[in-house]
Amino acid sequence: MSAYSLSTYSFNMPTTATRPSQRTRQRDATRRRLIQAGLRVVAAEGFAGASTAAIARATGKAHGTVFVHFPTRAALVAELVAEVGRAMSAELAQLASGAPTLPEVLDAHLLALKKHEQLYARVLCEASTLPKSARAQVFALQSGIAFRLRNAWQRARAQGTARDLDPVALSNIWISLTNHYLMNRDLFAPGGSVIAQCGAALKAQLLDLIRP
Amino acid sequence: MSTEHCRSCGSCGFPMRIPDDFAGSNPDTEYCSTCADEDGALRPYDDVVQANADYLVRQQGIDLLAAREMARALLASMPAWRERP
Repeated sequence: MSAYSLSTYSFNMPTTATRPSQRTRQRDATRRRLIQAGLRVVAAEGFAGASTAAIARATGKAHGTVFVHFPTRAALVAELVAEVGRAMSAELAQLASGAPTLPEVLDAHLLALKKHEQLYARVLCEASTLPKSARAQVFALQSGIAFRLRNAWQRARAQGTARDLDPVALSNIWISLTNHYLMNRDLFAPGGSVIAQCGAALKAQLLDLIRP
Repeated sequence: MSTEHCRSCGSCGFPMRIPDDFAGSNPDTEYCSTCADEDGALRPYDDVVQANADYLVRQQGIDLLAAREMARALLASMPAWRERP
């Protein structure tokens, strides 16, 4: 994986107050390796190429090991998408603290997108083929961005620095814009990061639209 | 729950960072203020589905029935509801 490190992902592991047994530690470590390998395979091959066999091969484990930890491929895929979503929404929650301005919310979102660009673009491109729970994770993440945008827009409108508009339209325009560039990143920024290359322009376009 | 980032609600996955994000403003609870009551007790499943669907509709304008289906799919993968028949 070239564009980012998998250490970004925290892996949704249970925590206990007491020291876990060796068996529990081994089980958790195997689960972590499966998720890590799954994210690598998805980044390289997409979800379509992320079969349970391919993920097992990438860890050097027997195929059946996958099903000890995930009852179905859909459950594994949902966990991979959830992991990306958790990492991105946690970063947004950290960055958009207090009462951020619209430019600050857009910057925080662009930073999270840039950090997870390769995997998140895969999620978007294949969203309609993903299990329902995985697709729901994407919409939950987008709603979190919409929520922050709406709050920042309300503050800007109260200060007279943003015009009246439908806040749902504002969020959907921004989400559509960024998703379009991510889904076609090979055309907008061949071989590079589309957010690094085009993010500042996208932010300027949105701020132009809402200027009073 | 995430161990490196802020905690997320065990019912809907909402990232909880400030006290008001937690049920009853209590950072020791497992759930967010939408999914649980002031005492931290999880609200009934149908109420949580409706609250999450309303949130999706309010933020992105998607169809209410589609939002309910999406909310059910989201909750099905969460620790609080994973074992629900």
